[in-house]
Amino acid sequence: MPDRLNLAAFLPLTPVSFEILLALAGGEQHGYAVMLDIERRTDGAVSLHAGSLYRAMNRLLEAGLIEELDERPALEHDDERRRYYRLTPKGLTVARGEARRLELQVESARQRRLLPGGRA
Amino acid sequence: MTAERLYAALLLAFPRRFRRRYGGAMRQAFRARYAAAVASGRRGPFLARALCDVLGNAILERVSAARDWLLFPTVHEQLARREQERRPMPWHALTTDVRYALRMFARTPVFTGLTIAALALGIGANSAIFSVVHGVLLKPLPFADPDRLVMVWSDNTREGVRQYPLSAADYFDVKAAARSLERIEPMLSFVIQPTLRTTDGVEQFTASATTPGMFELLGSSAALGRTFVASDGPHAVVLGDGFWRRRFGADPAIVGRLLTIEEQPSLVVGVMPPDFHFPLKSMLGPTGTTSAKEPDAWIPINPAVPQFTQNGAPNRVVHILCVVARLAAGATVDHARQEIAAITARLAQQYPDVNRGLGSDVVALHDQAVGRVRPALVLLLAGVAFVLLMACVNVANLLLARSVARHKELAVRAALGAGRIRLLSQMLTESLLLALAGGALGVGLMWIGVRVLIAIAPPELPRVNEVHPDLTIVVFTALVSIVAGVLVGVAPAIAAGRSNVQGMLKDMARGVAGGGLRQRLRAALVVGEIALAVVLTIGAGLLLRSFVMLLNVDPGFRVEHLLTLQIQLPSRIGNSPDARRAFYATMFERIKTLPGVIAAGGTTRLPLGSTSVNTRVLIDGRGMSASDMPEVEFRRAVDDYFSAMGMPILRGRTFSAEDGPTGAPVVVINQTMARRLWPNEDPIGKRVKAGSNPQTPWSTVIGVVGDLRHSSLDAEPVAEFYIWYLQGPPTAPFIVVRTHGDPAALATSLRAELKSLENDLAVYDMRTMTDVRAASVAERRFILILALAFGVLALTLAAVGVYGVMALVVSERIREMGIRLALGAPPVKLLTLVVRQGLTLAALGIVVGVITSMALTPLMAQLLYGVQPSDPVIIAGVPAVLLAVSLIACAVPARRAMRVDPVTALRYE
Repeated sequence: MPDRLNLAAFLPLTPVSFEILLALAGGEQHGYAVMLDIERRTDGAVSLHAGSLYRAMNRLLEAGLIEELDERPALEHDDERRRYYRLTPKGLTVARGEARRLELQVESARQRRLLPGGRA
Repeated sequence: MTAERLYAALLLAFPRRFRRRYGGAMRQAFRARYAAAVASGRRGPFLARALCDVLGNAILERVSAARDWLLFPTVHEQLARREQERRPMPWHALTTDVRYALRMFARTPVFTGLTIAALALGIGANSAIFSVVHGVLLKPLPFADPDRLVMVWSDNTREGVRQYPLSAADYFDVKAAARSLERIEPMLSFVIQPTLRTTDGVEQFTASATTPGMFELLGSSAALGRTFVASDGPHAVVLGDGFWRRRFGADPAIVGRLLTIEEQPSLVVGVMPPDFHFPLKSMLGPTGTTSAKEPDAWIPINPAVPQFTQNGAPNRVVHILCVVARLAAGATVDHARQEIAAITARLAQQYPDVNRGLGSDVVALHDQAVGRVRPALVLLLAGVAFVLLMACVNVANLLLARSVARHKELAVRAALGAGRIRLLSQMLTESLLLALAGGALGVGLMWIGVRVLIAIAPPELPRVNEVHPDLTIVVFTALVSIVAGVLVGVAPAIAAGRSNVQGMLKDMARGVAGGGLRQRLRAALVVGEIALAVVLTIGAGLLLRSFVMLLNVDPGFRVEHLLTLQIQLPSRIGNSPDARRAFYATMFERIKTLPGVIAAGGTTRLPLGSTSVNTRVLIDGRGMSASDMPEVEFRRAVDDYFSAMGMPILRGRTFSAEDGPTGAPVVVINQTMARRLWPNEDPIGKRVKAGSNPQTPWSTVIGVVGDLRHSSLDAEPVAEFYIWYLQGPPTAPFIVVRTHGDPAALATSLRAELKSLENDLAVYDMRTMTDVRAASVAERRFILILALAFGVLALTLAAVGVYGVMALVVSERIREMGIRLALGAPPVKLLTLVVRQGLTLAALGIVVGVITSMALTPLMAQLLYGVQPSDPVIIAGVPAVLLAVSLIACAVPARRAMRVDPVTALRYE
């Protein structure tokens, strides 16, 4: 059971970190795919170059939120030279935590009429 | 494709680990996106962003890698990170120690700063002085095979004059007979000051006259052109590098030009390189020159002058040659000395009239050049070694103090299994790091220090222009740093290594820190420091007193308010004695009309400011052979010389206008000459003559004037006699002018007046007598300044040492003090407790220091003047100063002891 205190130490995540976790929440990916995924989802608003991406991924790796895969996925998608990454359970918890935090924020924004759909 | 290669190269900016992990993936991503960017025409912006991305992230990555490296140096902390690629390196222990040490230093910046500063000061000062000693004393002379070069001297043992120049005839005889010398060349034993006529008028320069072969003998060749050859004749000149740059603007076409020297055209045949320094003042013997300036140029000896050749044969009477020679293969200086002594003895028998009583000496050229300053420089080196020792002691103390504070940590590490070796190596690493940092800073200080030393060095310090910081010095500094580091680390390391873990943990529980050994060591270090400070300060004090005593010596004339200068008459006037007399009459008349002038006169030899010339005199009524004739120094008095100088007439009268060119020749002698030559008689009315030529008329002694000190303030007065300028007008006298107010203020108007009187008059070396006297003691002053600097440094270091130790003592005994205060002790009692402990240490150090200095100061007796090595004023005064300093140094911690809050103290652990 992940420590609650530990969670608070991770949040709030940097935008880049959260994007990476989001990308990996959909399944295992290699680095370049994560890059493209983020670009697509944000419509080009967040465009990561290799340096920033891999640096952030390195930090997530060291913090234990993602891990490298030892086995390769199905042969069709395999590229020998590519490393694949996936979320760890800890990473999943943190990603959820961050999503919830953002949700709360959005709710407050709605209440203050910054976004449509708020209750008075 | 080149874009990808460029990208790959840029990736090198990342730390290696990162690159290895992600480099491949990054390159692939780049390749794919680059292709996409080219396809959509966004190549430029994409490349720009990629560049920024790589560089920016690489820097950030390196910064955080560095931070991690610093903050997590120990093994267990590193394991906490997910280190999959860690490979234990063989030097891992060392890097760990280094990182640990760096972390400790960052935590205690004041301590680290103080320690490094103390070491830097000690090492820097040491290296700077060593640079000077190396350049002046240790480096071989810049000639070919310099340790085969010697100088040959005559020795007038009868008159007690050592290092006497040779006569021309003696030189030729030695040259012919000496087998132990393979080559021998002479030069004039004094520098000459020929005139140089330029478009601006006439000026003077200094030159040394040598034979053409001298340069070959030394093995030195010209930088431009060539040195002399025999066919050049007497009207040639070789310029020195400094003169060439200063006076001729480093004109590359100077070789082959004709310069008007002494109104004759002389051919410039070459320019010497900047590192050619010859002859040094010390090579010309005691009367060669008073100016420490090197000669500006070299001209050939003119063998036609009467001092060289008289009546067609070499002159054996006048001694004007300094002789340099090269030892033959297999010969030593001793061989040469013995052989020359035999030759000299033979000459004395052959020519008893002139050569009886003359000895000889052969001296290695290096010793001749620097032998005189060796004692002073060695003393300086000793002083510096002391200061370095003190700095090391200080640092050892500081480290020791800190090791006490790190008890807990050391105990825990020992309990966790760190062997004694590990602890020791940690402490040694720390002290080595500190020492190396101190050494690095010290090199910077040394560089500055050498510049400062050269700037304040007296011009007499030989070879000071050969002092450059060089590789030897750097290596020496490095060695000194390492030795200092080891020395400094050893004491605390031993103390740490011996720590008994159990005992220490128990001690900590009780709040007592520092074992008995540590305390004793600390006390010993402070006592040692104070002793060293005492020795240094006593030395400095003795030198200071010597200097003051020397300055207070009465030179026999009044120094203040006296302006001096030298003039040289143009040959048009100089060629006729009548013209000279007329010129002087007008000149002095004009000078005396200048405002502020009280009196004016002149002489051929300025006391403390010029060389001497001496001659043998015959006394009427006493039969004596040529070699019995006493030697006295010869001067001329011009106009009101004696009254301008403030010299008293003790007997008889001084010169007057009545003693004209056609009158009876008269002389005035000084008191020493009167005493030596007529010990029991009145010299007035007696007759003397210079030289033994029967044609020379006798001169009558008309007066006795007071003695003065001529060659230096600490030299005894010698026999002098003066002839009157009207009866022998000089061509290049010194002029002295006594003024009401500041003599320097008169300088410009006097020069203008003289130039308006005679434009071709060479006027130079205008200085006040005070400056002349100061220049004559410049060397002593230099040593004194350095010694005082050491003294101040020593006192500071001692004060810091005492303060450090007492502060530590107080902080260790805080608990005890708290208890005492809580039990009702008056705070003053705590103050006295601390002060008494501090002063006991100081007193012990002072006693040791005084005893040591009593043993050591006789070694510096040569440098003292008018002061005994055991001078009571200094021996009593310095301890008093040190006690005062120690008292002040104890004061701060003592006050802290007084202010202790018992509640906090008891809680303190």
